Amino acid sequence: MSMPAQVPQIASPSSSAKKPLYEGSTQYKNWRFSPEKLTRIRASLNAAAVSVIRNTFEADEPGSSSNVLFLTADEEHLLVKLYISKISQLCGHFRFPEEVEATAVSYMKRFYLKNTVMDWHPKNVMLTALFLATKTTNNPISLETYTSHIPKTIPSDVLDLEFLVAQSLGFEFAVWHAHRALWGIWLDLQSLPDTPPDQSQDIYDTATMHVRASRLTDAELIYSPSQIALACMSLASPAFASQWAGSKIPSLADTLQPTIETIKSLITQAGHPPDVESVRTVDRRLKLCKNPEKVVGSKAYLAKKAEEERKAEEKRSRKADEIRKAMENGDPFGDELSWQEKEEKIKEIVDEDDND
Amino acid sequence: MDAVEKANSERQKKWTKDQKVGEGTYAVVYRGREVSTGRKVAIKKIKVSQFKDGLDMSAIREVKYLRELQHQNVIELLDVFSSKTNLNLVLEFLDTDLEMIIKDRTLVFLPADIKSWMAMTFRGLEYCHRNFILHRDLKPNNLLVASDGQLKLADFGLARDFADPGYKMTCQVITRWYRPPELLFGSRYYSAAVDIWSVGCIFAELMLRTPYLPGESDMDQLKTTFRALGTPTEEEWPGHTKLPDYVPVGQFPKTPLRDLFTAASADTLNLLSKCLVYEPRKRIGAKEALNHPYFFALPNPSHPSKLPKSSNMASTRALEEVDGNVDQNVAGPAVKAAAPNRLKRKLNSPGDELASRSIARRLDFSQPKQP
Repeated sequence: MSMPAQVPQIASPSSSAKKPLYEGSTQYKNWRFSPEKLTRIRASLNAAAVSVIRNTFEADEPGSSSNVLFLTADEEHLLVKLYISKISQLCGHFRFPEEVEATAVSYMKRFYLKNTVMDWHPKNVMLTALFLATKTTNNPISLETYTSHIPKTIPSDVLDLEFLVAQSLGFEFAVWHAHRALWGIWLDLQSLPDTPPDQSQDIYDTATMHVRASRLTDAELIYSPSQIALACMSLASPAFASQWAGSKIPSLADTLQPTIETIKSLITQAGHPPDVESVRTVDRRLKLCKNPEKVVGSKAYLAKKAEEERKAEEKRSRKADEIRKAMENGDPFGDELSWQEKEEKIKEIVDEDDND
Repeated sequence: MDAVEKANSERQKKWTKDQKVGEGTYAVVYRGREVSTGRKVAIKKIKVSQFKDGLDMSAIREVKYLRELQHQNVIELLDVFSSKTNLNLVLEFLDTDLEMIIKDRTLVFLPADIKSWMAMTFRGLEYCHRNFILHRDLKPNNLLVASDGQLKLADFGLARDFADPGYKMTCQVITRWYRPPELLFGSRYYSAAVDIWSVGCIFAELMLRTPYLPGESDMDQLKTTFRALGTPTEEEWPGHTKLPDYVPVGQFPKTPLRDLFTAASADTLNLLSKCLVYEPRKRIGAKEALNHPYFFALPNPSHPSKLPKSSNMASTRALEEVDGNVDQNVAGPAVKAAAPNRLKRKLNSPGDELASRSIARRLDFSQPKQP
């Protein structure tokens, strides 16, 4: 994993002997990639999904997969990006704090580094990721309120995927955001001895807009929040950015510059929602190539569910048998019970341990 | 099978559950092992399906913070996996907790022992605060002790990040006896100082061997606090009469701590008094506390392995391992003996008690295999 030079966290300089807090985070450890690595991950997820779905099609009806035009990794990514852009619309509607929005966006991106669009449609994942983010950032609302404000959505649409999303995130819910780092830079700037006199709020607002645009890019999967924040500040006001860097990290300011420039061009080039028309075509094609095992009600879905249920039933009856045997072998508690009670007890015990 | 599902089931296979050791309305706790090494662990199974809003907040908080924290004095979350609709937290197995140790009348505490526990508590807490995390439920019951004597902060079900200035937080946190006056007065803007107050109460309890400020209701908690430490004046705590739930509860004189803590050294009482300063902004911080002369004066703190420890707790301890959301009314001699106080210490709603009773009955059935 090739990482450009890190901007030290904007933490207190007194803790310099210890490693920056950010480096202890799960984000630092598990969610940073090189651009090449991101491409590889997406390509291999896509290839794996295509081969699984092709097999499912063939099992259902031989020859049926030959005409299917599966999505490419880039097309999947495009669709995800569209739904990422919808998160901020929804957040505006609910008036969720920025923390919720940013966290939900990160969850979406991380989710699709473990899953593919052909298995899980980004619309549902987006709704679940956002609901989960309200909870993980301590801004919970009831599920009913949440779904009643979203057209054509019922609680189970959100809940059914919650576990899968949490699992895909590795249960790593904490996210470090660029907008927080930007706030830190902004506070720092106000206390610098020789800040430019014209410190209008506009500069901060413009920089914040760039941070929001950066959420539509892969920046957060490649760079640290403070690097992104500095790049956004630099887009808003190169003078402020270099002044901050010069005062906070004089030794790094020059080596950092190429990285900052790369982030800036990433944001300007990719930091806007995709063209809806082109996404619509992708979405239409997705309907034809999504994994039938994940489509509730389809033949493949029912077959899979039946198989799962059969296995669970097998396990339950095995357990019940074991318990029955144990009781019949002169268990002091078992003897006192009538047959009916015994059956009930067995059921209770089995249900109890059912989920292990 | 999806890659994600596969990864989960591989994780699941790394751990086995041996024995159920506790059950509450919110979770079941098992003693278990890591399959490859035989290492003992505690597995907390959270029943998710019962929550209509999905994964519940205390589970989310606990997972969120423990995933990020790694420190000798914070309980380690080894793994998380799901089984059907349950969330399983694999935690390091810890034998006992400070509450059980305090209550074990056969144990004698030396000043050096108390210093050692306090040092470990402050180290764990300083680490949390350095990471901008408030614990918000410190009490002896949540300070767990490993077999090597290391003390660990546990139960992050009420934890949260520091709020930005100007953002409200709830004041309904921290078990009453360890709750600072600013929260009792309804303050919605508070800081790491709330945890420090709790540590002060624990410090006192270690010396007294009984809870220091055992109020019977929120109102009585204020009275109990002021009776012990004197009613705060406007001068020592400016503005406190303007807090949302402020009520005058009577004038109590200040009595020197020395009157109650007759055997304590001057350093000890100085640190204690700094943890129990009314004005939150003047209360000592965790880092500052670690640099307090108390920790540099003789006697040196006891080595963790030399600390007093109950001998027969290991088997019943595992159910304590969990947080305040799990009820403890399950058979077990040590637990039963402590029952009366235990309930009061909980943040649980009264309904929990009823629920757990029926569960406790059911628990008896789960052992028919034992001869």
